[in-house]
Amino acid sequence: MTSSGTEKALSLLRRLPRVSIGNLGPNPGAHNEKRRGRGIYGGKTHGAGSGGSGQRQNFMRVGYETGNTPFYLRFSYQTYYKGHHLKLSYTPLCMGKLQMMIDTNRLRCDVPVDVTQLMATGLFSISPQQKEGGFMLENEGIDHFKATINIEVQWANEAVIASVERNGGFITTAYFDPLSLTAAIKPVEFFGRGIAIPRRMLPPQHLIDYYSDPKNRGYLADPAEVARERFLLAQKYGYELPDVNASPNKDILLERKDPRQIFFGLEPGWVVNLKDKVILKPTDPELKEHFAS
Amino acid sequence: MTCSAPRLLLQHLTRNVQGLNATLSVAGYKSAVSLDKIYPASDLDVTKLQTPPKTDGLNFSGYVPMNKVQVTYSRSNGPGGQNVNKINTKVDLRLQVTTADWLSPELKERIAKKYKSSITADGFLVVRSDKTRSQQLNLADAMDKLRHMIHTAAYVPPPPSAEDEERARRR
Repeated sequence: MTSSGTEKALSLLRRLPRVSIGNLGPNPGAHNEKRRGRGIYGGKTHGAGSGGSGQRQNFMRVGYETGNTPFYLRFSYQTYYKGHHLKLSYTPLCMGKLQMMIDTNRLRCDVPVDVTQLMATGLFSISPQQKEGGFMLENEGIDHFKATINIEVQWANEAVIASVERNGGFITTAYFDPLSLTAAIKPVEFFGRGIAIPRRMLPPQHLIDYYSDPKNRGYLADPAEVARERFLLAQKYGYELPDVNASPNKDILLERKDPRQIFFGLEPGWVVNLKDKVILKPTDPELKEHFAS
Repeated sequence: MTCSAPRLLLQHLTRNVQGLNATLSVAGYKSAVSLDKIYPASDLDVTKLQTPPKTDGLNFSGYVPMNKVQVTYSRSNGPGGQNVNKINTKVDLRLQVTTADWLSPELKERIAKKYKSSITADGFLVVRSDKTRSQQLNLADAMDKLRHMIHTAAYVPPPPSAEDEERARRR
């Protein structure tokens, strides 16, 4: 026969929550709450942390301007920040720096160069969470650029495109959404997470025109129109377009990613296990359909 | 080894892991938004050779064959310190007008007449540019100037209308 004391204890055990860090406390008298005195004005009873309005500091509401109509009520809306949360910034990369990286063997141009390759040089940092979109190529040093390269960046102007193409190279501008960019810039870290490679999302509304334009060598543009634009640009900038069919690196120069692909040679849906050196591919038809959509 | 990290990985897998067929090129991967689905009517050939438009009569097509034109670079003038002293940014574009077979004879005649002052004793039409700090952009500017010259030489003003003639007669 159990005593009422035991019964009480057991019923308590049933009712009360599990003992954890959050519901443990010291025994009374375990901690000495005495504070050092700081003269007649310090200690427990004086200062901002002690009682009444002194504790609460008597703040007025946020934005209150002591009577006059406050700024946030005068101008409830400012157009200068419209769409600020959508605007992306790009890491500038000068053509001169690109040439230097190639010359010093920091970047190899015998493989297609994309965000992953550029980040692998270790010279740049991109934080997609801070609304950074990737790389943009700049004019500085276009006269000294001599490499034949297949490069994929996020933004490039006309003079830069001319500079790449006059040397027999190819340039593509491609959009990476924040999640895909996070994977692309640090692939080993991404593979370590053990999740399937995601599909790259299409550009948002305000960027889709840019990436569909053959003049910008957008990755969503018609390659036949891009061929025409290459010819026109060569005429505009006064050079003869080198024949890529005669080049020994033809396959490398013409290699392109699918719009949904993040990495060259890897498909969305695959799980790359670097530790065991295996790639796991989905077999479920629903998954396969999703990753091919 | 001339391979990137994913390629190396795939090569390793094909060699060392039995029963795994890892294809190097995922040319087989086509999503629902691949280019052949966005542009079904196109041949998707970025290396397609473009036929340059022809110039007949006074209709200058705008096409200038770069192998028929001589381009030389020299140093620009003006301030600029070491950069202007050492870098060849000035562009000199020369074109032999009489032997230019890509221009029609009547157009060549008009150019020779209108731009007599830009043609040297040897018969070369000279266009120079040192507008910018970049050789490439200066060459683009020189090409633009050349095209402008040819277009203005080709331009024939429309004949005066009946109203204009009437007004001239009245004066």
